[in-house]
Amino acid sequence: MSVVLHFAQHTLQEVALFVMAVVYLLRLRWLLSFKPGRDRQRPTGGGEGRSGGLYSLGTIAMPWVMESTRTNPFFYAQFVVFHLAATAAILLSFVIPYAPGLLEVRPVTGLFQLFIGMGFLVGCLRLVRRVTQRTMRALSSPDDYFSLILLTVWLASAFLAAPNDPAGGEGALLAFFFLTAFFLLYVPFSKISHYLYYPFTRYYLGRTLGHRGVFPPRRGPSVSSSI
Amino acid sequence: MDTLTRSHKAQKLIERLPKKLNRQFVASLVGCVHCGMCTNSCHYVLANPDDPTYAPAYKADQIRKLFKRHVDWTGRYLPWWVKAGTVKSDEDLEQLKDTVFGKCTNCRRCSLNCPMGVDYASFNRMARGLLVSVGVMPEGVAAVSKDQWEIGNQMGVLKEDYLDTLEWLSDELAEEFGDEAARIPVDVKDAEVVYAINPREIKYDPRSISDAARIFYQAGENWTMPSEGWDMTNFGLFSGDDELGGTVAKRLYSKVKELRGKKLVISECGHGYRSTRCEGQNWAALGEVGFEMESAVVTMLRYIDQGRIKVDKNANKKPMTFHDSCNFARSCGMTEEPRELLSAVCTEFREMYPNRAENYCCTGGGGAMSMSEYTPRRLKSAKIKADQIRTTGAKMVVTTCHNCVDALNDLIKHYKLDCEVTQLVNLVANALVPTRAAVSVTKVEKPALPLEGYTILVADDEPDITAFFSTALSDQGAQVHCISSADQVLETVRREKPDLVTLDLSMPGRSVGEVFEALRRDPELAKTRVCVITGKPELRSLIYERPVPPPDGFLDKPVSEEKLIFNVRKILEISEKQQ
Repeated sequence: MSVVLHFAQHTLQEVALFVMAVVYLLRLRWLLSFKPGRDRQRPTGGGEGRSGGLYSLGTIAMPWVMESTRTNPFFYAQFVVFHLAATAAILLSFVIPYAPGLLEVRPVTGLFQLFIGMGFLVGCLRLVRRVTQRTMRALSSPDDYFSLILLTVWLASAFLAAPNDPAGGEGALLAFFFLTAFFLLYVPFSKISHYLYYPFTRYYLGRTLGHRGVFPPRRGPSVSSSI
Repeated sequence: MDTLTRSHKAQKLIERLPKKLNRQFVASLVGCVHCGMCTNSCHYVLANPDDPTYAPAYKADQIRKLFKRHVDWTGRYLPWWVKAGTVKSDEDLEQLKDTVFGKCTNCRRCSLNCPMGVDYASFNRMARGLLVSVGVMPEGVAAVSKDQWEIGNQMGVLKEDYLDTLEWLSDELAEEFGDEAARIPVDVKDAEVVYAINPREIKYDPRSISDAARIFYQAGENWTMPSEGWDMTNFGLFSGDDELGGTVAKRLYSKVKELRGKKLVISECGHGYRSTRCEGQNWAALGEVGFEMESAVVTMLRYIDQGRIKVDKNANKKPMTFHDSCNFARSCGMTEEPRELLSAVCTEFREMYPNRAENYCCTGGGGAMSMSEYTPRRLKSAKIKADQIRTTGAKMVVTTCHNCVDALNDLIKHYKLDCEVTQLVNLVANALVPTRAAVSVTKVEKPALPLEGYTILVADDEPDITAFFSTALSDQGAQVHCISSADQVLETVRREKPDLVTLDLSMPGRSVGEVFEALRRDPELAKTRVCVITGKPELRSLIYERPVPPPDGFLDKPVSEEKLIFNVRKILEISEKQQ
């Protein structure tokens, strides 16, 4: 392994991770510096904020509860594949430097490549959707396009790097690790950091609607619980 | 930042933005990934598929861009990268007003369909509040807010008119039941139930009050209505003005406490229920209020469950469907109670799809009914709701909200649906089986000709309507004159001196708005009672935005004979008492 590749796999990643973690902590501190709104009224419909919040967090795994996911199963499947692929690629960035032996098991490498490859295809589909649909174009900012392209290219590089064969040429590995480092540094400033806010948005929406008896949905009322 | 080039109002709005933010808003403002999943959840989008500016995420971005430019990190340093932006001129504020007031009813359907949980409706309300704080809002919002601040209710109903109406309704109830105990109690201390209503009920739909009174009477309830602070609606919800919201809610809470009421029952109104029950304490920063609050829907359902009232569902045989009010269902979880009640009082219920928290807005939410400038947009987007109703084949749409009643009536007329709108209180009252053993419910014969001695002028250019009104009113003993042009109104009023004019808003000749204003300004004619009866409610502003006293009544066409006579009698009776 060359010095450059070793640097890219270790020092560069560690520094990038550290920077990302620091920026994330600052972002969280900033978000938490805003006072949370509170519900002073008694709950309605037998509702309860905490259970509403938990239900809301769980909707990610319940595509049938939201009309937008229920009526777009293909889009939901894309969402699942894309996010699993991103997770696999992140995992790969740790497996290669710290547990390379895992990738010597061919089915494991194959599994990584399957997930990441499908994620790449979804990335391409999403890019086409964002470019061709009028509404999506109207919504999109340069960051939206760049983040999507960055992720899709990064997944392609992860697909090529997954066999972890520096002897066969370090190009794919170097591309993957340099892209990973850039990705880690860019993410906190981009829309890709949405996963940091996801628990907050979903929990707060769920807590509010839970307190008002909307989440989780119910069937069959009880008069005493409806006051 | 370039504060020197910004208009005073825009500068104030930017300065006030950070103060309006809480953690929920900030999370929603940073959390959007522009995935577009919310797009088709909006009725405006479905009715305007080629216009991306109606997409919830696009509309949200008109607010989000300010947040990004002035509060968030990336947008402050690289605004073009994340589409951050600002407002500089009053025109920019007008554009923002058009989005937050004119393209969204705050129905919250997109919030429930956002995978990220971005609550656009909540921060859209926040943006409305910011605009209102710098004086930028639709005229209707300004007028209604002013009435609620100054007169204490959003329709500017004066205390004497309110009490007169209750008195008049009480007379009818006492007569109907042959029992003075059937009267509407006002300001009774220590009552079990304090009943608060929507001012629309006083002004345009007093039958819903007498229906509620019939139910309370049959249930043997110890109830009362407050003489003041009786308006449970709250325009603060629509205008985004938390101060107004808190003040209005406190008025009602204080009155209930003053009367030592045990429970506040809120009549059927989506935004009224949400404002009073779910948001008022938050806006007013109040803790425990010291009494229970519930919707009249729950009260009626409990009476049936406990056997305090008996109902016969055969009294309501038309096929019915149910429209969920957004504020009642999607924001307050009241989806099952109305259905249970409806199934107890009607023989044929047909569910519309989607329903419950997924139902579409009536298109009159978020104060849209008061913003006449957006009426064409509203009616266009109402196609979605019209299709929903038409598919059920129902002859009656039931809802639990006065706003929805008006909006549904509008769209039924616009899309020519063979259907009428009603509320649960009307159906329950209609299905009541008298049960109070101590009271003999004697049907008192109505006076043979209750309108005898009254002269009524019917001003309408549709011959069918004039013939119908003329026959209905003459049958009740009134002397009726008919005209078909706005040019004839003043002259005929001067000549015939009618006690009441029924006025259509779209007649040939002069603008009816001008004619109405001239009538009100003429010292000799100003006291003539006027009831606007129109098939184009979007023309309301022709009358209501004029700087003269409003008409004495307002009815939407088509109007049934019963409703016409009921309202005419109400207006004339009030008129008589005042004289």
